Amino acid sequence: MRDTTRPLPFFRAARAVFDLSLENMIWSRRSLLMALLVGLPAVLALVYRGLLAADVPTRAVPPMDLYAIIVAIFWICNVLPLMALFHATSLVADEVEGRTLTYLLTRPLTRPAIFAGKFAAYLATSLGIALPSAVLTFFLLATARGWSGLGTSVPDLFRDLGVMALALVAYGAFFALLGVLLRRPVIPGLLFLFGWELLANLPGYLPRLTLTAWLRSLIQHRPAQEGLAGLFGQVQPAGLSLAVLVVASSLFLTAAAWLFSEREYVLDQ
Amino acid sequence: MTRSRLVLSVSVLIVALGVVAGFGALWLDSARAAVGPLPGEGLVFPADTHFVMGFDVKRVVASPMWTRMASKPEMRPEGLKQFETMTGLDPARDIDQIVVAGRGGAGKTAPQPLVIATGRFDLEKLSGTMGMAEQAEKRQLEGTTLFTMTKENEKGETESSTLALLDPGVLVFGPTAGVEAVVASRSRGETPLTQNTELIELVEGVKPGSTFWVVGDSTILAGMPDRIPAPGMGGSGSSVGLNLPPLQSLTLTGDFDPELSMALTGVAVDEAAATKLADVVRGLVALMSLQAQQKPELAQLASAFSVSTETNTVLINARIPYDLLEALQPKKKPAPGEASPEAEASAAVTED
Repeated sequence: MRDTTRPLPFFRAARAVFDLSLENMIWSRRSLLMALLVGLPAVLALVYRGLLAADVPTRAVPPMDLYAIIVAIFWICNVLPLMALFHATSLVADEVEGRTLTYLLTRPLTRPAIFAGKFAAYLATSLGIALPSAVLTFFLLATARGWSGLGTSVPDLFRDLGVMALALVAYGAFFALLGVLLRRPVIPGLLFLFGWELLANLPGYLPRLTLTAWLRSLIQHRPAQEGLAGLFGQVQPAGLSLAVLVVASSLFLTAAAWLFSEREYVLDQ
Repeated sequence: MTRSRLVLSVSVLIVALGVVAGFGALWLDSARAAVGPLPGEGLVFPADTHFVMGFDVKRVVASPMWTRMASKPEMRPEGLKQFETMTGLDPARDIDQIVVAGRGGAGKTAPQPLVIATGRFDLEKLSGTMGMAEQAEKRQLEGTTLFTMTKENEKGETESSTLALLDPGVLVFGPTAGVEAVVASRSRGETPLTQNTELIELVEGVKPGSTFWVVGDSTILAGMPDRIPAPGMGGSGSSVGLNLPPLQSLTLTGDFDPELSMALTGVAVDEAAATKLADVVRGLVALMSLQAQQKPELAQLASAFSVSTETNTVLINARIPYDLLEALQPKKKPAPGEASPEAEASAAVTED
């Protein structure tokens, strides 16, 4: 018989919160919109294959160059951070907004376990949307001109899947912290993404203060870009990039969990 | 199982299938390409090779650049015409891939490189065509047919080149001594190039699926100029110029379809040298932009380049449309007595 005066063990509690949050998160309009956005390249790749098969004269970029643009610019720099922003900021903020946080906090669950369960649900949802899309897009484009040479491109796929997962963890951790800190975190989050993160295109040491510069350094694709990004693009050593992202994610997550545990939430009546 | 878990299971299944298919392709493909894009046949090149380059001929032939070259006979390289005449081969039809390896040097002092072509060759027909050539001497070496052609160079020295038919899918051409060494290595089952670990490492790093690629080690790059004239100094031979940091290795990959795209990776001695080299390239790109008032195409060309650095590595990417390349070509001056298009147009207006 469980001692009802003590909270549930961490992992059991986190698992229960994960199950509850996953159901709400996957079947939300937010996820549907993100699935459409993240899955767009797979549709584009299908159209590309169709045009190649129909022998329609086009001035399209080569298939693997298109894949490089999709990974380096569309997913890593834009859509995945956006997905992290919309999902991770809502982990706690939505409960506060919907005034349902009280129901969670009055359960025999520790606050870190609630946070861990919710973050795990966010990761499962976002990875479940993003990674299949990457796999489908890769195979559609890599085999657009036949199966020969596919093996030489496969290491890129594995690396891209890893970097996409890391992008969702790093941005997710940062936006989860923002969601715990602020009542309305979306606008500051958007400013961070489309303001602060643009520092990655500047020369000097400023790009090291952004997440996108470290993430871009981990992928092998370097599509030609115009403007500042084209002229001053920097690539950091892969080992250092990995270390910085892991440390930053851990710090953001720890800070978010600690703040969530310590903070007094006064809900509007 | 809840609906959300079903969705997750489907996602996991797709990713798992992709990973399995990827490993399958990796395992099956490794048999075809020995090192990066280099076919197994290329490993018989000598160990003292300083550069290797490769062309995916099928993709070159399918590219808009080939179509443009075909429409302008003067753009077809003389060497290619000689090769076609001598062997009776049609590169567009018979060759899949060409790999060239050499030992550097500049201009006419450069030793002749070795060329390996893979494709579909009719040995009997090729033997017949080569055998009929007056200057070709046919002989056998370790079971391989060799055709040696001897000629005198400008200095009066005798030079000999040899073409060997290794098998119906592989042909090797180059200086006689080099080809004989390749034939001997092949018959003994040796792969001398694998001893050149520096070059092999560079080949392994070539971007997969490139239509053309070139890798060169520090030895070949030692012959490159170490300074360029500073802006405004012209080519007057003045000692004032920009020092170029030496490069340890160079990798160039690219495609011809739908436009000319290239990725150049140069490894410098250290981070400072890489930054300096990148700055020089950025300066040249900026100069191009400044010249845009005289020639607007230069602004477009400048925006086609992107430069970045990664510790001691400089990465230069470029995507240049063919229309831009044509616009940058110097306008052909009309021959004496031949009216320029503008003159013809004004004459037509006057007649009206």
